[in-house]
Amino acid sequence: MVKSPSPERNNEGFLEDAWAWSRDTAEEIASEDGLELSENHWEIIMFLRDFYKEHEISPPSNRLFVKAVKDAMGEEKGNSIYLMQLFPGTPAKTACRIAGLPRPTNCL
Amino acid sequence: MNELHTLHILNKTPDHPRFGECLGMLGPDDAIVLIENGVLGLAAAEGFHSARVYALRDDVAARGLSGSTQATSLVDYSEWVGLTLQAERVISW
Amino acid sequence: MAMLIIIDQPPYGGWTGREALDMAFSLAAFDQPVSLLFIGAGVNWLRTGQNTSGIEQKSVEKNLAAAPVFGIEDILADRISCERYGIAPPELADSVVLTDANAELLAQYSQAAFAG
Repeated sequence: MVKSPSPERNNEGFLEDAWAWSRDTAEEIASEDGLELSENHWEIIMFLRDFYKEHEISPPSNRLFVKAVKDAMGEEKGNSIYLMQLFPGTPAKTACRIAGLPRPTNCL
Repeated sequence: MNELHTLHILNKTPDHPRFGECLGMLGPDDAIVLIENGVLGLAAAEGFHSARVYALRDDVAARGLSGSTQATSLVDYSEWVGLTLQAERVISW
Repeated sequence: MAMLIIIDQPPYGGWTGREALDMAFSLAAFDQPVSLLFIGAGVNWLRTGQNTSGIEQKSVEKNLAAAPVFGIEDILADRISCERYGIAPPELADSVVLTDANAELLAQYSQAAFAG
């Protein structure tokens, strides 16, 4: 199988062009964080892709990431513990990086 | 082709004092090119009198104004450059 | 304590409006009640059908559509400013409420701040 070259990324590992993303890209970035993507990860990743298509921004902070997930999927998934378990570190940053979105503006 | 005396390049909103100052100086053989926030003049029903009015297509589209450009000629960047070359003088507001 | 952020600058010409939107989102993130009021040339943020592919900027129309998701309470548009800029109610996004920007409106907020 021939793999297309990985899309360009900035010094923090975020994609330069959100539209250059593919599922392979997500797997590759996740593996750098030592993550293996499950269905639960993909659900959030695809939610973020749709969110970006609709709003042309990443959720700017962790809290707003949680709010946006809660708004779309309810409290069970839209809570910080669940999202922290899936995307360790700073969940909004980790998830946006894997989903190919720009860096959330208000995450340190 | 009509003679083009002065080409006025206007990038200010109608609320900016320079917008009105520009309209006040339009001569009969002048033309005006609306760019950036200047294209909002198309929506604010400003009187351009008899001057020829052009507006930059990309800036019009960005602001959702493509539907309100009755008497206006939409131009792209190269047509805009063409106008500046054709004019005897250019004022950038 | 409710806050009103007032945007009177048009979209795309500068960064003040986007910074104000960012601030509103940050307040909402901490569950502070915050609303946005668009007056003057600022009402041009609210016109539907913005296509920014030619100017290589993100669409403020799409950005602003995230406001209700993030918990911004109200998005208000000054009626007279909308008339001045030829924006009729059908051209406004669904979440926008037409209002009259006057002292009575501002008195409903404990804090009001202009962007920029």
